[in-house]
Amino acid sequence: MVQPISKQAIYVVFLRELKRYWRAKARVISSVAQSIFFLAIFGLGLGSFVGDIGDVNYLSYMAPGVIGMGLLFGSVFSGVSVIFDRQFGFMKEMMVAPVSRTSIILGKILGGAATATIQGIILLVVAAIMGAFTPSIALVTGAFAAIGAMLLITSGFVGLGVAIGSTLNDFHAFQLLSTFVMWPLFMLSGVFFPIDGAPLALQAAMLADPMFYGVELLRWCLLGSGTAILGPFGWLISLTVVIGFNALMIGLGTYLFSRAQI
Amino acid sequence: MDTIEVKELTKFFDKDVKAVDGISFSVQEGEILGFLGPNGAGKTTTLNMLSTLLRPNGGTATINGHDILTEPDAVRRSIGYVFQDPTLDIELTGRENLDFHGRLYGLDRNTRQQRIKEVLELVQLTDRADNFVKTYSGGMKRRLEIARGLLHYPKVLFLDEPTLGLDPQTRRSIWEHILRLNQEKKVTVILTTHYTEEADYLCKRILIIDFGKVVVLDTPNKLKERLQGDVVSLTFKDTAAIEKFRPLLEKKEWIHKINVVASGNNYAAMSRMMQTSPQMVNSMVDNEKTIQEETSPPKDTEQAVFEKNIQFSGEQCSKCLNLLLDNGGHRIPEIVKLAEEAKVILESVELRKPTLDDVFLSVTGRNIREEEGSFIDMVRRHRIMRQARGKPTRN
Repeated sequence: MVQPISKQAIYVVFLRELKRYWRAKARVISSVAQSIFFLAIFGLGLGSFVGDIGDVNYLSYMAPGVIGMGLLFGSVFSGVSVIFDRQFGFMKEMMVAPVSRTSIILGKILGGAATATIQGIILLVVAAIMGAFTPSIALVTGAFAAIGAMLLITSGFVGLGVAIGSTLNDFHAFQLLSTFVMWPLFMLSGVFFPIDGAPLALQAAMLADPMFYGVELLRWCLLGSGTAILGPFGWLISLTVVIGFNALMIGLGTYLFSRAQI
Repeated sequence: MDTIEVKELTKFFDKDVKAVDGISFSVQEGEILGFLGPNGAGKTTTLNMLSTLLRPNGGTATINGHDILTEPDAVRRSIGYVFQDPTLDIELTGRENLDFHGRLYGLDRNTRQQRIKEVLELVQLTDRADNFVKTYSGGMKRRLEIARGLLHYPKVLFLDEPTLGLDPQTRRSIWEHILRLNQEKKVTVILTTHYTEEADYLCKRILIIDFGKVVVLDTPNKLKERLQGDVVSLTFKDTAAIEKFRPLLEKKEWIHKINVVASGNNYAAMSRMMQTSPQMVNSMVDNEKTIQEETSPPKDTEQAVFEKNIQFSGEQCSKCLNLLLDNGGHRIPEIVKLAEEAKVILESVELRKPTLDDVFLSVTGRNIREEEGSFIDMVRRHRIMRQARGKPTRN
């Protein structure tokens, strides 16, 4: 069935996501605090033990990964929130309106990407204040590039969240999702250790993790292209993988959502 | 052309269970039509098909001249749907919920502001519009949903169990709102309910639906006229008294119908079985129908069939007799005298008008309120009531 796209509908669903994010102060604070703990305890504590990685200190090495964590969790959960919309009935209100499901889900994805990116920007500022990045002109341009990368990464992961949320029908599966999807994606993304030194099996798993390429991309943006800590791929390959994943997940999320029972 | 025309609409969720079984009816402009039936009768499924949320397996319908199969967007623009379960975003304010709805339906800013003001006044929520919906009482949420359903000026409004789980006072006020908007906005309404008094009070016509089929469609008064006269309920000392007294009553030609109080035809057991083996229940129902069709003489008029099946609602009681007769008040002394002469001890005599409950029981053979045993229904009711209790009421 052809599904015409309505800009107005995309916008209004997007707006709702922003409003809800803005009001859920506790959620914002707790996720920012969590990232600060990671940076402060691991970055400074573990960092003093590990020393430098490549030519940057451990805190700097970890910071892009921790920002990536905020992006990952924020975006997947906002995609999965289609379960709550369904559970609390609001989905029906959208479904019975004269707009296509595609418009609804595109609004959802844009909204989720925007809120997760806002979260990422907050973390970026926090990490900068903690001294993770060397102040320079390159850092300013790099930060803007990073924001672009964040939007790409998050919209892909909101798509993944929507795909999962449209398939699972109850939110008791949330715990499973967190343990078996989110945490592996996060821990394999190269946030704590460089890929080179890891055992082969682990390296393979890391290369299969889309978030790995996202973190690589963020690292390239924020730490500069000259650093020796980047993984085996250049920024271009990382960007290509991120865009490919993004397109795939938005497509999959849209498809599964339009087929789902309300 | 009528505002709603439904032809042979059918939906089955699996091969053996037909949720809606070829129903046809039409609704005139400005009419309030009630779907009356127990849970699982097919009321919500029908509304979901009419609102294009569910695709029928057979048949079709037009709403405001638009076909539900070929013009779903035009149909959606023509309808407002107030769902059975709450569908508000409780993290937003009342006004924001309305604004969201207005935008979804493509209304521009000025139109939105003006209509939001108007519908808020209609349901008397103006002073609470900027509070979060999570602070609303159950009745206020319901009113907000009704207001929202009207915001895009639909020709047709679907209300699915609009007062389920609300207290009697709130229910009353929702009724007044529904009547008022029907009169002021000339909006055509289909509402589903399993409260007979609600259908009686609000609806111009009532469609009794059971096992996915239209059992009867008529005005509340016409339905009640099928049970002509008054109902006199007699309670005796014991069952032996009934056996002794009943033959005497049967001789009186002014008594139209004598009946023991409905023995509660095991609906709860049936619904349990429906969950475990629906095929069995369906075939039981089908068998019952064929038997009835075979045994009832073909010449019987609809009214004659109806009279044969008359039953009376009420508490289950083995020492009671229900009589249907004209001028019940004047006949009571005669009945009491008859009892005295026969030396039968009467414990109580009660006179009442036939209700839609009696009609419902007579046409479907089951009590509309006997479905409390359904687990899913119980859970849903609890949920709605818990939400309804939430915060201090300001109705």
